[in-house]
Amino acid sequence: MKAILKRELKAYFSSPIAYVCIGALCALFGYYFYQVLLSGSTYYIASVYNMMFMWGMMIIPILTMKTMSDDRRNRTDQMLLTAPVGLFSLVMGKFLAALTVYAVGLLFSLIPCAVISFYADPGWGVIFGNLLGSLLYAAAMIAIGVFLSSLTESQVIAAISTFGVSIVLMVIDQMAFLLKNNVLERIVSWTSFSSRFVPFSRGVLDIASIVFFLSVAAAFLFLTARRLESRRWS
Amino acid sequence: MIEVSSLNKRFGSVQALKDICFTAEQGKVLGFLGPNGAGKSTTMNIITGYLSPTSGRVRVGGYNILEHPRQAKRLIGYLPEVPPLYKEMTVREYLEFAYALKNAQQPRRKHLDDICEQVKLSQVWGRRIGNLSKGYQQRVGLAQALVGDPPVLILDEPTSGLDPQQITEIRALIKRLGERHTVLLSSHILPEIQAVCDRILIISRGSIVADGTTRSLSSGLSASGRLTADIKGDPRQVLPLLSSIPGIERAEKGIQNEPGVYEYSLLLKPKADPRQAVFEALAEQKLPLLGLKRDGMTLEEIFLRLTAQSNETEGELSDIPGQENRNSKEEEQDQ
Repeated sequence: MKAILKRELKAYFSSPIAYVCIGALCALFGYYFYQVLLSGSTYYIASVYNMMFMWGMMIIPILTMKTMSDDRRNRTDQMLLTAPVGLFSLVMGKFLAALTVYAVGLLFSLIPCAVISFYADPGWGVIFGNLLGSLLYAAAMIAIGVFLSSLTESQVIAAISTFGVSIVLMVIDQMAFLLKNNVLERIVSWTSFSSRFVPFSRGVLDIASIVFFLSVAAAFLFLTARRLESRRWS
Repeated sequence: MIEVSSLNKRFGSVQALKDICFTAEQGKVLGFLGPNGAGKSTTMNIITGYLSPTSGRVRVGGYNILEHPRQAKRLIGYLPEVPPLYKEMTVREYLEFAYALKNAQQPRRKHLDDICEQVKLSQVWGRRIGNLSKGYQQRVGLAQALVGDPPVLILDEPTSGLDPQQITEIRALIKRLGERHTVLLSSHILPEIQAVCDRILIISRGSIVADGTTRSLSSGLSASGRLTADIKGDPRQVLPLLSSIPGIERAEKGIQNEPGVYEYSLLLKPKADPRQAVFEALAEQKLPLLGLKRDGMTLEEIFLRLTAQSNETEGELSDIPGQENRNSKEEEQDQ
């Protein structure tokens, strides 16, 4: 797993992808922090992360689109799958590499907070809650992206489908209102990523939401490993 | 080292492999010969654990590839048909990755240096793989298979894309490797297999149609042998004469070697040896016999005959099926 993680990170950072994604995250963070500063109160910092939650949806598909599809297309999967490495550690390596790149981008968001802290209390509780929530959301979304990437040879299809899924998961609680059935409505809104994110944005560590995001990530990593396994039998 | 028993593989409705069985011993180079699409790569992909068989069993070094994949895969170095290269990495980064991926135990720097020395990669050590020529890329793929010094090497068309000099080098390397390793090599180039392999498996349409050394294959098939004769004189006179000799099944005129001298191909009846009769008959007519040679079949002929046989009727092992086919192909080559 370490070998794959290391290689993937190297691939991200030796191509423009990592820099473009991290750069875009930083620029957007900067812009929204600027707006918060204009409003003159750190109370609004949660709104920065709320906006970033939206932008994360755009950036994560770009990070995950080539994780699996590219290996299949370049036949490098033959090297990985015939090496003495388990499927799960292969998938895990790829997943952690993408998550690391995203986490680096998120960490840069602490720079403005650190600057604010010289003058006032930025509300570290809320900030760390948001940071953790963003990371957990990213973990779940990246796992989904890696899975979708394993379904296709085309990076474009992987990226667009991941983007589509993340939008659906975001607006699903709004769609739930359309359902007449009460039980269905609750089930559907239970899966909404954005309502799961709400407690974090208030700085609350909601165990149910943490478990939810982690389980989604684990489930899709498992599915990816199954998908690789099933390809051998086709 | 490698045991393959009754391997079958289906892709949907296509039966890609039919009941493939063979074993490969340590310290032997086993050649896998067959036309494109015969199932060579599929077999190799199954042995290395990249694909799973529909039925049948593969054991490498005693480990079943499905039940103990890690132990089995640790013993195998695999060069697939398309080398699995990360084009954005340098040769050094890539081989270090292969080293880490296979969890190799040898001292890293020295081990990788030795491999580069063997496959002659040292001068491109720091260059990006994507910028290398196809021949170099192929060698990087071969180097990757050698990382960790696995006892079994499975090489799918290792010399494709190389120039003639590189081909000779790589063949020599494979021969050297074959002294200590078990090498399974596939190719559709006959001289290559002939030059490198101790044993040959000919595969056609998913089944093994022949298994043996070059010599045993050619003697087994040429039960009815052939003679090639260079005779000076008018073919209209020579041909009927040759045909009338007992022991000769059929005589055919080949190319004109020198002015007035033709090469004749004489197909013999089973177990007949009419060399003396040919000489005497020609001497009687004052037709100079300038050369006479008994041929076993070349690997090329064996190959064409066997693959043609299995294409026409399967299972029939008489000499006649595929005969017409083979001759017509030879004529095409002559022209």
